[in-house]
Amino acid sequence: MTPSPANRPEETDMELIDRWKAGDTRAATRLVGRHSQALARFAASAGERDGIEELVQDTFVRAFASLDSFRGESTLRTWLFTIERRLMLDRRRAERRSRDTVPVEESDHVSEYGALDSLIAEEMQERVRRSLEALSPTQREVFTLRVQQGLSYKEIAVIVDSTEGAARVHYHNAIRTVKEFLSDE
Amino acid sequence: MNKCMNSEIQEMLPDLLHDALGADARGRGEAHLATCEECREELEILRAFKSAAVFAPAINVDRVVRQIPPYRTIVPATDLPARTRVVSWLVAASVAITVLGVGSLLVARQNVTQTPGAIVTAPNAGKIPIQPTQIPSPTPEPFTLPGIVVPAGQPHTHALALAADVDGLSDGNLVQLMNEMNRFDALPATEPDPVISVDSGY
Repeated sequence: MTPSPANRPEETDMELIDRWKAGDTRAATRLVGRHSQALARFAASAGERDGIEELVQDTFVRAFASLDSFRGESTLRTWLFTIERRLMLDRRRAERRSRDTVPVEESDHVSEYGALDSLIAEEMQERVRRSLEALSPTQREVFTLRVQQGLSYKEIAVIVDSTEGAARVHYHNAIRTVKEFLSDE
Repeated sequence: MNKCMNSEIQEMLPDLLHDALGADARGRGEAHLATCEECREELEILRAFKSAAVFAPAINVDRVVRQIPPYRTIVPATDLPARTRVVSWLVAASVAITVLGVGSLLVARQNVTQTPGAIVTAPNAGKIPIQPTQIPSPTPEPFTLPGIVVPAGQPHTHALALAADVDGLSDGNLVQLMNEMNRFDALPATEPDPVISVDSGY
């Protein structure tokens, strides 16, 4: 007896990948739907202001184009975060190069987290958001992946190209900085 | 600052937030939180950060999927029909036989061009005389030069050295000589040493 859709167990990422390779485009829709919002949140928390959807789209296009190299040693989401982080670094390098050649405009002086300004309403959230600006880029990434995504240090180490111990130290330094910032306000 | 010294609980706070703990660990964490104000405050900070991050823009899944190229179709060899596999094996065997045949001919030809009685000096093996391999000529006519006759079937790798007077060669000998020259591997890499006359006073 075939189980009804409601009772059918959730397909794993690897099963969906196999289905997509066999020509089932609905499997791609399932995979994108499953992971796209987490990628968008990571990008927003890591300081991306514009073009988050394009960033997420580029991440999936690259990931699907090289799925043969995904060996399943990490989770698919960890692998996607790794690709997205590299794309963000590439973007920032390109922006830095263009800033070196293009005159600085007034809009460049807005906060790195300006896109979230209008979205965050509660005072506590606003304070947390500002406290993140005090973190180094790596601390911010590690803190975001640990708290927002709930990833383990092992997974975080893969994404930020570091070690598990270093990721743990970055997290503890980050939480200490955040709490100091909040207690000083 | 969290002055709580229970590092195990502090480590698990993000996992507690994401409901990623087993029943035992979760029970220990909740029991600790009930008595530790510092850890409760830290968990609230983490919760605030997690909820703040929800405000990322919504992603249009269909638009993303439309940009994904189809997976390239790769047919594994084992999926090919049996007849195609047989043909593939025949082609592979033919290629292997051809390569072996050509390789054997090249090796045999290289041995023929060795000078008779050449001496090869190996670092630890002393001097080893190498005998030329004798391969019957396809046209076993005797090799003749003015005053010199090489019997048919004998190797004549030294024919060029004997051919001091090319004008005296017949057409057949000239063709044979050209064939011998074609067997040379390469020209000498260095110029010969200059000849110094004994009578020059040096």
